[in-house]
Amino acid sequence: MRSRPLMTLRLSTAPVQNIGVVPHGTRLTFPITGGSFDGDRLRGKVLAGGDDWVVKRADGVVELDLRITLETDDGALIHMTFEGIRNDGAPGAPYFRTLPRFETADAKYSFLNRLLAVGTGAISEGGPVHVIEEIL
Amino acid sequence: MDSRLLMTMQVAVVFPKKIGAVPHGTRVTAPIASGHFEGPRLRGKVLPGGGDWTLLRGDGVLELDLRVTLETDDGALIHMASFGLRHGPPEVIAALARGESVDPSTYYFRTTVRFETGHANYAFLNRLVAVSSGDRRATGPIYTIDEIL
Repeated sequence: MRSRPLMTLRLSTAPVQNIGVVPHGTRLTFPITGGSFDGDRLRGKVLAGGDDWVVKRADGVVELDLRITLETDDGALIHMTFEGIRNDGAPGAPYFRTLPRFETADAKYSFLNRLLAVGTGAISEGGPVHVIEEIL
Repeated sequence: MDSRLLMTMQVAVVFPKKIGAVPHGTRVTAPIASGHFEGPRLRGKVLPGGGDWTLLRGDGVLELDLRVTLETDDGALIHMASFGLRHGPPEVIAALARGESVDPSTYYFRTTVRFETGHANYAFLNRLVAVSSGDRRATGPIYTIDEIL
C-alpha cells in the first residue's frame, strides 16, 4: 500500500473522565483542550471542545473514538474523526493506529473529503501525537 | 507506513437495491451473495447475507459501508466491517457504471477495515487495522487488504 504524509497532529488533553466499567469495557473520556497540526498542505490549531471517547476492552486493547475540529492558519474549519486501537501489549512494540476521516466545506481543503488516512500514534510528554498519512 | 498483505477478497454482488435520493445523497444497498478470501494467514468463504450500503454524495464521491461475515476453512466466523471511498474522473466512473473492465489505478477505491472474531486462532484480527484497495468488476469487487503494521 502506498501512502504519503498528510500531517502531524499534536493534542493536549484535560484530566481524564473515568466513566468506569460499562458493558463493553472500561470507558474513559479525554477532553481535548487544544493542539496543533502541521503538514505540507495544511497547518493550524485544534480547537478546544473535542474529545476522545476511549474504551479499554477485556482483551486489553484500547479502542479510540475521537471527534475534534481543526482550524487552519487561513481560517478553514475541518471536522475530523478517527477510530483507532492501541495495544500496549502487542509483540515487539506498542501498536497504536488510527483511521482518520475529514469533512470540510472549504474548497481549498476539499481534497480531505475524498481521502482515507492512517495515523500512527504515540504518547509524548505533551500529550498524544499522531503522524497521519494519506492512503494513495 | 509499513503494511503487509492480509488477504485478497472477492465478493459477488446481486440485485442492488436502489433506495434513491435520501438526505445525504443517493443510497444503493448491494447485497453480497457469496465470495472468498485468501491470504497467508487465513482463507475461506464469504457467507451470504452481508452487504455494502453505498451512498453517492453530492460531491460525486461514493461512500461504502460494508459488513460481511467470513468463514475460514477451519470453521471460524469473522465479522468484517469496512468504510470506503470511491471516486474518479467522470468518464472512468461512467465506464464502471456500464460494467466495463476498468484499470483500478485510474480511480480511487480504498477502504479501511476492522475485524471481530471470538476464535482464538484469529484473535490477531481483533488487534489490527487494515486498509484495502478495490478493483470494481461487473460481478462485484475484488479487495486487496493490507494489515497496517
